[in-house]
Amino acid sequence: MSDLSLLKRLCTARGISGSEDAVRSLILEEIRPYADSVEITPLGNIIVFKKGAKRPQNRLMVSAHMDEVGLIVTHITDEGLLKFDTVGGIDRRVLCGRAVTVNDKIPGVIGAKPIHLLKEEEKGKSVPLEDLYIDIGAADRVEAEQYVLPGDPVCFDSIFDTSHGMVKSRALDDRAGCAILISMIQSDLPYDMFFTFVVQEEIGLRGAKTAAYVVQPDAAIVVESTTAADVAGVKKDRQVCRVGEGPVLSFMDRHTIYDKEYYRMAFSAAKRIGVKCQAKQAVAGGNDAGAIHVSRSGVRTIAVSLPCRYLHSAVGLISQDDYEAAGKLISALAGDIAGGVSYDQ
Amino acid sequence: MNELKELLFRLCAAPGTPGDEHAAAQIVAEELSQYGEASIDSMGNVIAKLGKKGAKEHIMLDAHIDQIGLIVTGIDDAGFLHIDRSGGVDRRVLPGSPVLVYGREVLHGIVCCTPPHLSDGSEDKVEPIDKLSVDVGLSKEEAEHLIQPGDRILLYAEPKALLGSRVSAAALDDRAGVTALIRCVQLLADTDLNCELTVVCSSREEVGGQGAMTGTYSVNPTRAIAVDVSFAAQPDVPPEKCGKLGGGPMIGIAPALDRIMSDRFVELAKAAGMPYKLDVMGGSTGTNCDEISVTRKGVPSALISIPLRYMHTQVEVIDLNDVENVAKLMADYIKEVQA
Repeated sequence: MSDLSLLKRLCTARGISGSEDAVRSLILEEIRPYADSVEITPLGNIIVFKKGAKRPQNRLMVSAHMDEVGLIVTHITDEGLLKFDTVGGIDRRVLCGRAVTVNDKIPGVIGAKPIHLLKEEEKGKSVPLEDLYIDIGAADRVEAEQYVLPGDPVCFDSIFDTSHGMVKSRALDDRAGCAILISMIQSDLPYDMFFTFVVQEEIGLRGAKTAAYVVQPDAAIVVESTTAADVAGVKKDRQVCRVGEGPVLSFMDRHTIYDKEYYRMAFSAAKRIGVKCQAKQAVAGGNDAGAIHVSRSGVRTIAVSLPCRYLHSAVGLISQDDYEAAGKLISALAGDIAGGVSYDQ
Repeated sequence: MNELKELLFRLCAAPGTPGDEHAAAQIVAEELSQYGEASIDSMGNVIAKLGKKGAKEHIMLDAHIDQIGLIVTGIDDAGFLHIDRSGGVDRRVLPGSPVLVYGREVLHGIVCCTPPHLSDGSEDKVEPIDKLSVDVGLSKEEAEHLIQPGDRILLYAEPKALLGSRVSAAALDDRAGVTALIRCVQLLADTDLNCELTVVCSSREEVGGQGAMTGTYSVNPTRAIAVDVSFAAQPDVPPEKCGKLGGGPMIGIAPALDRIMSDRFVELAKAAGMPYKLDVMGGSTGTNCDEISVTRKGVPSALISIPLRYMHTQVEVIDLNDVENVAKLMADYIKEVQA
């Protein structure tokens, strides 16, 4: 059984891009006793080095991002309502009606014009971002300003539910990846490895770029969550990947063409250790690999992702089996890559 | 105010979609039984009898106990739930919303939302309800074991305190009204009333007011006061259509309502130095008053509303001071009824 309590601690911590402090503290607490060295970079990445049983053939960096998508307060109206912008790629259809927390402590809600007063043509249209606002119950601007300032981060309120073999939670992207890295750091490794917990993925892969510069790896494994579109009304050929079919391996996305040998090695490793895995069946999305694989003179890179439904919204869904399989696959693959196993000879 | 908040949150946390109000009704009946004889009738109304039995005047207080929600209509081959609306849910707040499914066990679900890369440029559009589904993360077989058509779904939002005396919860429409009735009864607990007083927390308002219809028939009152919610000022709502959070009771004036009662409430609010707002409607009221007032030979009725933002979403907002003032206003009215 995977350690879901660790995942719960990570997913319930709040940390949109640029405000990852709470997540960072939590991770540092978990890894400090197990790491050989820990470095915090100027932008806030955590870089961990841990010695393994042997010296590696390839200097390997395993990376996950700490930040999550969310909102940021941009303006306080005279009525004491908070206007906001999105941080990261949030589908605006999922904003209306959500409960949120501003600045890690002030409860708020994103309301809507009452349905009774809508014109017929408004009923089937999502509310444009510029018409949305957060209500914290302030009577006016003066009261609101005692609690909130423009620039304050906003997170969705959510659930953490683990019934029936699934995990339904906020921020699974990419706290599930962070949890997998932490578990690796807390176990014995076959080779020396670097682990990076990076900031600001959701606004342009910014933490990973700087972390890769510091680590100077030969090879990288990016541990992510990726959109599973296996939901009602989507045809099989457009589902990209499916929850319950195992971790997802990418050959190409909007930012990266992945290392072909590593891609094949990952499938072989999965077969060897007896876990399911699946190909990401679309050239869509992107992740920190986009920044890492072009770091310095280039880094051989692969991404292993958890299939996650409703990725950038208040509550996502992953399978516990996928989570466990991803942990096993990434450990095996990390050993193979660091040890210089070649599949192409 | 803290006790009032706790009572309100307790009521809001109990599920009670139209026709399935029992869990909420049970809590309300227990609460009201501290003050009089309370029971739940065959339509799911909570009816509590107080005051002076057989008095000439018999006042009925009404607030509806049901809340809007969703209902399971079927389960597809991949285990997703087909749904319909149970009351006027705003579908714009549904995509990506966490929900609770009340099957053989209570399950966390999510209203399906197609990923943006598949929306083909139509991310402005919110699908009609028969195209929306709920994901409980179960296979068809597992889902069929735990859930059946007819099971109810609530939009999930934990009641929470905002700044000052403002609170947010799903079901404030009309658990805020129910809370006002209970608070009114508390305020009257030490008074010898000259009238008979019956509290009705009625079922099925959100689907037509069937609970109030039958409840009023069986209570057979001489006058009735209904408490519901009405629009509070918020961006996009024209000022002439709304009250204000913290702006006090909204006293209804409408052809369907009794003008003498409405006027008396205005006088009482003034006498108490309480803020209030007139809520004028041109015909009927869209509340239980429409059914109550035409029961049997007719019942003179008044409507007092609690201003509320974001009606029919899972994040409705009210000010607790308004609930307290509505309760006090009704108590003042009931106290002065002559034998």
